[in-house]
Amino acid sequence: MDLKLLLDWRLHLTVIVTSMFAEWVGIVRIPLGPGTLLLLPLLYAFIIGVLFNPHLFSAMGKVIPKPVSNAAGPIILIAILPFIAKFGSTIGPAIEQIIAAGPALILQELGNLGTMLIALPFAVLVLKMGREAIGATYSIAREPNIAIISDRYGLRSPEGIGIMGVYVVGTMFGTLYFALMAGYIASLDILDIRALAMACGVGSGSMVAACSAALAEAVPASKDELLAFAGASNLLTYATGLYISLFIALPITEWMYKRLKGSRQEVSHENS
Amino acid sequence: MKTHESPIDQFDAEALKELRPENQLGKTALVLAAVCVAAWFSNIVNGSPLLDALPGMLILYVMVIIGLVIGRICPFYLPSVAWVSLISIIATLPFFPGNGWIIARLAEVDFLAVVTPVLAYAGLALTGREFAMFKQTGWKLVIVALLVFTGTFIGSAVVAHVML
Repeated sequence: MDLKLLLDWRLHLTVIVTSMFAEWVGIVRIPLGPGTLLLLPLLYAFIIGVLFNPHLFSAMGKVIPKPVSNAAGPIILIAILPFIAKFGSTIGPAIEQIIAAGPALILQELGNLGTMLIALPFAVLVLKMGREAIGATYSIAREPNIAIISDRYGLRSPEGIGIMGVYVVGTMFGTLYFALMAGYIASLDILDIRALAMACGVGSGSMVAACSAALAEAVPASKDELLAFAGASNLLTYATGLYISLFIALPITEWMYKRLKGSRQEVSHENS
Repeated sequence: MKTHESPIDQFDAEALKELRPENQLGKTALVLAAVCVAAWFSNIVNGSPLLDALPGMLILYVMVIIGLVIGRICPFYLPSVAWVSLISIIATLPFFPGNGWIIARLAEVDFLAVVTPVLAYAGLALTGREFAMFKQTGWKLVIVALLVFTGTFIGSAVVAHVML
């Protein structure tokens, strides 16, 4: 990628103005049923970014030309790194609490297998999806998971189309969805807030950021502890996620898919 | 996928590899400086004035660079985010020299303010390919994706809740 495009002043100035505006608007709380939806500045920043996107509104090409917008893609991966460093600095001071919670922290990594538990039966039985469902539900579809599917089936296979679909949805709405869901579930006060913090560590920088920020806003008193748990869990996912999804999640998803398809065919056979 | 020029064609493992920030350290160092400036300004509103936050932002910058260099020279693969995270954890551990000063400087940088510009970049970066793909995959994959995210979150939370 051309350095001139990566350092284009219009791009960075737009981001600065957008971010400062979003920060100025601040956090908005909306009561909804038994809980509360939290709207964070990152949500407004994303929406304003999309509105300035020249691929969606070609008139915006005057502010941000298309090549500059394309250059913003690789920039995201770099822009998340200072945040990751800030995140790590919440873990160091809380190391004793984290070690005390060690067993819970390690075992909840297995909860990442939950991706297919609800989604796969729904995809196969309700939406009648084919093998796309395997790629779509075996992981949360971030880059390392795409590499596995690409290696095993190829990206133009049904499995590849499935994972790319979830990847794109994750890129567009994943961060926002995690912020809304985590904040809402926290406000329901059913599960231990520390358990929710650990669950935020799904192996995507921006998703864990939004998720733990929403929790920290929901329970400001234990902000530091929550961020530390989320960060530690996310780090574990970075280290183990690739191996868990390759050696455990993918075989289980294949197996579940065969069982679900089998049962569905039997049912339709009986009906006919 | 019916057409030959499917959006997926452009998204292969090669492209993913080229995107890894540790593979082009020089470029990454410059872009990192630009995004840190964006975060630095974003931090004014709910964090600290520019001068107070400067040492903290510089610490974050240095931590990222050290993490990327380790990721580059390390013989086995671990994502660069994991290295950056490890560096930052070690530098703030209770027995690390000067950890108190580092933590105090980083306290001037607001946690949320650093993420806000990342999402602004993300909104600006969505490509025609992604908008097209989104239309193509349609509502079914949107529902499935949201169930996937809900599943992993609830799954981990329930396991952790029982263990705590």
